[in-house]
Amino acid sequence: MSAASNGRTATRERVTAWTGQAIPRKEDDRLLQGEGSFVDDMGMQGQGYAWFVRSPHAHARIVSIDVSPALALDGVYAVLTGEEAKAMCKEPFFRIAPGAASHIEEWPLAVGKVRYQGDAVAVVLADTRENARDAAELIEIEYDPLPAVVDGVEAAESSAPILHEEAGTNLAWNGVFDYGDIDWALENADHVVKIDRLHFHRFSSTPIEAAGAVVDWDLGSGVVTINTNHQMPMFAAMFMGPTLGVPINKFSFSSRDIGGAFGTKIGFYPQLAALALLSKKAGRPVKWTEYRTENLLSSTHGNERTFLDIEVPVMADGTILGFKTRAYDDVGAYLHYEPLGGVIWSQVLPGCYKLKHIRVDYSATLTNKCPVSPNRGYSRMQHLWLVERIVDTVARELGFDPIELRKINFIRPEDYPYETPNGCVYDSGDLPRSLDMALELVNADYWRERQKELGKGKGKRIGIGVGSTLDSGTNNFGQARIINPELPFSGNGEAAIAKLDLYGEVNINLGTSPQGQGHETTSAQVAADILNLSPDKVTVTVGFEQANNSYIGFSGTYASQFAVTGLGAVMGAAQKLRDEILEVGAYALGLDKDEVELVDGSCVSKSDPSKSIPFIGIANLVYTNNAVLTPELREKVSLTCRYVYTPPFQVPDTTRKWGNLTLTYASQIHACVVEVDEETGEVKILAYAAVDDCGRRINPAIVEGQVHGAAGLGIAAALWESFDYDEDGQLMQPSFYEYHVGTALDIPDIRTGYIESPSPFTPNGAKGMGEGGGGALHAVCNAIQDTLNKDDAIVYDSHNSWERVYNLLKSGERQAPRGVSVLSRVSGS
Amino acid sequence: MITQSATQAIEVTINGTTYRRVVESRQLLVHFIRDTLGLTGTHIGCDTGSCGACSIIMNGKLVKSCMLLAPQADGAVIETVEGLGNDGELSTLQESFRDHHGLQCGYCTPGMLMAATYLLRNNPSPTEEEIRRGIKGNICRCTGYVNIVRSIKAAADSTQAELGDSVAKEVSK
Amino acid sequence: MLLKSVEYVRPDSVAQAIEILESNEGAALLAGGQSLVNILKHRVASVDVLVDIASLEELRFIETHPDGSIEIGACVTYDELDHSEVVRSNHEMIAWVASHIEDQQIRNRGTIGGNCCLSDPTNNLPPLLVSMDATMNIQSSKGMRQVRAEEFFKGYLMTAVQPGEILKSITVPRVPSDVGIGYVSLSVGEDSKAIVRSSAWVQLNDVIQDARVVLARVAPVPVRYQPMEEALRGSSATPEDIARAASLIGSDFEPVADSHGSSEYRREMAQVVAKRAVLEAVDKVRGEGGSK
Repeated sequence: MSAASNGRTATRERVTAWTGQAIPRKEDDRLLQGEGSFVDDMGMQGQGYAWFVRSPHAHARIVSIDVSPALALDGVYAVLTGEEAKAMCKEPFFRIAPGAASHIEEWPLAVGKVRYQGDAVAVVLADTRENARDAAELIEIEYDPLPAVVDGVEAAESSAPILHEEAGTNLAWNGVFDYGDIDWALENADHVVKIDRLHFHRFSSTPIEAAGAVVDWDLGSGVVTINTNHQMPMFAAMFMGPTLGVPINKFSFSSRDIGGAFGTKIGFYPQLAALALLSKKAGRPVKWTEYRTENLLSSTHGNERTFLDIEVPVMADGTILGFKTRAYDDVGAYLHYEPLGGVIWSQVLPGCYKLKHIRVDYSATLTNKCPVSPNRGYSRMQHLWLVERIVDTVARELGFDPIELRKINFIRPEDYPYETPNGCVYDSGDLPRSLDMALELVNADYWRERQKELGKGKGKRIGIGVGSTLDSGTNNFGQARIINPELPFSGNGEAAIAKLDLYGEVNINLGTSPQGQGHETTSAQVAADILNLSPDKVTVTVGFEQANNSYIGFSGTYASQFAVTGLGAVMGAAQKLRDEILEVGAYALGLDKDEVELVDGSCVSKSDPSKSIPFIGIANLVYTNNAVLTPELREKVSLTCRYVYTPPFQVPDTTRKWGNLTLTYASQIHACVVEVDEETGEVKILAYAAVDDCGRRINPAIVEGQVHGAAGLGIAAALWESFDYDEDGQLMQPSFYEYHVGTALDIPDIRTGYIESPSPFTPNGAKGMGEGGGGALHAVCNAIQDTLNKDDAIVYDSHNSWERVYNLLKSGERQAPRGVSVLSRVSGS
Repeated sequence: MITQSATQAIEVTINGTTYRRVVESRQLLVHFIRDTLGLTGTHIGCDTGSCGACSIIMNGKLVKSCMLLAPQADGAVIETVEGLGNDGELSTLQESFRDHHGLQCGYCTPGMLMAATYLLRNNPSPTEEEIRRGIKGNICRCTGYVNIVRSIKAAADSTQAELGDSVAKEVSK
Repeated sequence: MLLKSVEYVRPDSVAQAIEILESNEGAALLAGGQSLVNILKHRVASVDVLVDIASLEELRFIETHPDGSIEIGACVTYDELDHSEVVRSNHEMIAWVASHIEDQQIRNRGTIGGNCCLSDPTNNLPPLLVSMDATMNIQSSKGMRQVRAEEFFKGYLMTAVQPGEILKSITVPRVPSDVGIGYVSLSVGEDSKAIVRSSAWVQLNDVIQDARVVLARVAPVPVRYQPMEEALRGSSATPEDIARAASLIGSDFEPVADSHGSSEYRREMAQVVAKRAVLEAVDKVRGEGGSK
């Protein structure tokens, strides 16, 4: 476990291309000095502090709320309850779901009922943080508890308590995805492997900065200013606008530094709406800082998915024909981004494999638990974990080596671009080589020897597992129509502005809301290459600044797409700017446009470099000296160049659920060596590696950092982090005391490798990456499986605490159900 | 004796500047530093003293400022992230974090830097294991800790090399 | 996350602290605060006055007595225990256990007195102190009294310390050269939340002369498990002997289940950690284990 340097080049010297260099980040200076601007660092004159009052019950009627004791406390400015909030709204939040779930009425605060422990019932505004909290405790609420449903499969049954009476069901959405002919495959395959149940658990990436906002509803102008760390502000605006009756151009969203998000800062628009109403009522700005227990209870769970009755047809030579399953996605008590998750997983329908016959009967169900928000790897991760467990289990049951079976079924490098059974196009990759690299990085051969020597019964066992996964990036929002054909969404994109300022400084301005991905730096690298000067001379303004920045409906930072959409927009804008500078420069030098070039901040004659005009001269001509220019040039050139990058998508076929749903497919292969204690079930990671292929890497250090981060989160989720509810719907892990986040002592050193298979579909050959696809979860589960005996149960859950591993180790001798069976039509496999 | 009261007049020296304020006894030290004094580099990430984003050095010891009340710091000498550099120049440790991509979102970074500063003061040449133990109380969700460990190791090596150089210069004089 | 209004006072002496405790029913002692501040943040207990004793020199000392025992002031921090030459010379297990409590920040503030008085079944030092047969020295306006560690812990947040009293120091007997101490934890995350722990003090010559086996987190307080101790006494301390003795830990306990483990698993693991703690103790006496 060496901490060797990754060989970064911290250089500012002249290089031929900045793209591909691991240059130090522009963001770091301010962040290292504690001079970042995170949402709790900021405020507004006259603000009050908000504290949400939240339900202790998982399911209950609200009988009465008496806020008078709170209002009587010194320093309290206002209190807002659900009924009041509803009266101030035009309509409930817009619903993505069709059918029964479209009738669900959700307001900024709970009205009539509470539906999960932590559901917000009221919000208090006071002069200090402490007074707001004290006042909140004084509010008297009478509840009439109702039975709760906490199982995502049971919730779909008609006997389950219904959360939203106006929907009449907890089934928020159902769709059957059916490709090829799985019935034929099951009838005719040499073997059918049946797995009873697999479960992907509920957890979250819990960024260290929780949610927050400073909100001001200015009664005079009608402008609602929202300074927040929400990572997709226009998504929030889409819901808040109609409900609050505020036109989009009257919202003024802004974000500055965000302390991590990983998808979890997308779902909290109801809180923002409640804060806006509170500000309107109180006539002053409202500052809200989510505290950790509040965050774990009410803000930030990932999707939990149960797979039942999995059947896998396999031929004698190891070719896996496909699989079928029923999937239940437990989305919690309210639909915020859901049920979009119901189609998003299908971007990676066959995983990394050439599977042709797949049927997934997918249901999204509502339960009395925290509403889910996309969590790093969102929806694809759950499905890819299923596929990896299937492949690993098939290998073991039929006597194949799990590595060899993967190679038999992998999509091969020569197959790209590869069209999957549902019409998605995988752009490029080299999975077999990635896999070999990962195995080499963990010294798999050495550990295989050690594993043989150690055997079983000596106290410890060694296991080796791999997880192959895809990080599908730049999604086609047209897939929302597969969920609900009425939704007017499709395509994707990002907008950027490149300009020369009054004094010729280069500025890039874009509406992404990064949370650590280094957008200022990579944007500068890309622009620097196009304008041919140092990235130090490019100022990049990121952060969602509705007033100043450029944005489109999909602007934000999520879903592994920035390298394509964001940088695509930067490239387009920078190219336009370059053209304009060349035009003006050529004119100023009395030359043709093809006789000049840009060098280090000047427009220079190619044949006589002494003839040049610096950018400040160009800016002068356009901004303050334009009578010198021709009328045509004045018409044409503004030095403020906006470009919207849009990927070449079509609207998918919603009847067949078919079409290209994502532009790029980065891959990661993870390899993991574990040591398991036979007496306790403790798992220790002895070696870990991840090989990433995200096409052309703009900044290799940033890419590697994302790989490390995704692996770290995945390892922690696999072994220590899980959100569990008891039968009364009480969350058993409401703080970091119960929810153990992996520390520097827990997470092992992570070795990395890379392959660059450029994407043929993107402007720069890069693919989005960052989420990672949950590879660590797949690899750790498979490594644990490798320590178990043939008569033990299979690893059936993505979370494996010591206790669970202990029970798996004992399952064989206890003759517990294995969870898997094989029907063979041929013998001797 | 500091007399019994729900408000206290306290005097705290932070990064060389002495502040005198009247506080509520119940105010957490981290809120005093951030809200009362406006030193927002120290961050809050949890409510159980688990994450370490609030780490500062108080009277020479690394502590979590969310686990202290403001009056407990009366008379104390405190260092926060804002005091690490020299007049806008990054320290060797901060430079090392920048050069080795030891931060992504930057939210855990101030606490991490204080923990690393404390570690290197007490153990100038730590092993990787010792580094990980030294930052165990600081949670990072972005980096998986790999580059943080590299950054701290490199800073230690670089400082040792500088010291070695200056010793060599002395010797050769 | 935010505290209720509370009064704060920093007395200059233990006597002053006791006066304050006696005249304020809702007063609580604040030493390191690494447990208490969390309790107050989550408002699970009500305190009117916080009496800050963390810097009282009377409570911050480590002394050796002529009989080889050491006396540790209640406000000595875990970090100070870790680095104390006195502690490491004959009572190194105290330093070792203290050095593995959570993290550096907590070790710089948390105190041995706090770890004992804010009695939580997952705390690190209480089971060790019970196995080492420590004595708790409690001071009040009436003078000093002693309570054996074994009798000190009464329940969650409850100890033998009565209102108006302060735990002043802890006396730990000399560890004879034929005694080894083993300490094993099963936890969620390294140096983190305990699932179960065991501390074993074993006196071994040809056979085991005496043994104290303490289990933590199978009951609200650390408990000595006499049946295992009896089975060990007189045995040759082979791995089989030890395993057999440990297997006696059965349905005597009903550990409270929580997010870190079920009752059943904790019971089964109690056998494992107890066995391993005794093995470790035995290895140390025989010189096989070396220091941790």
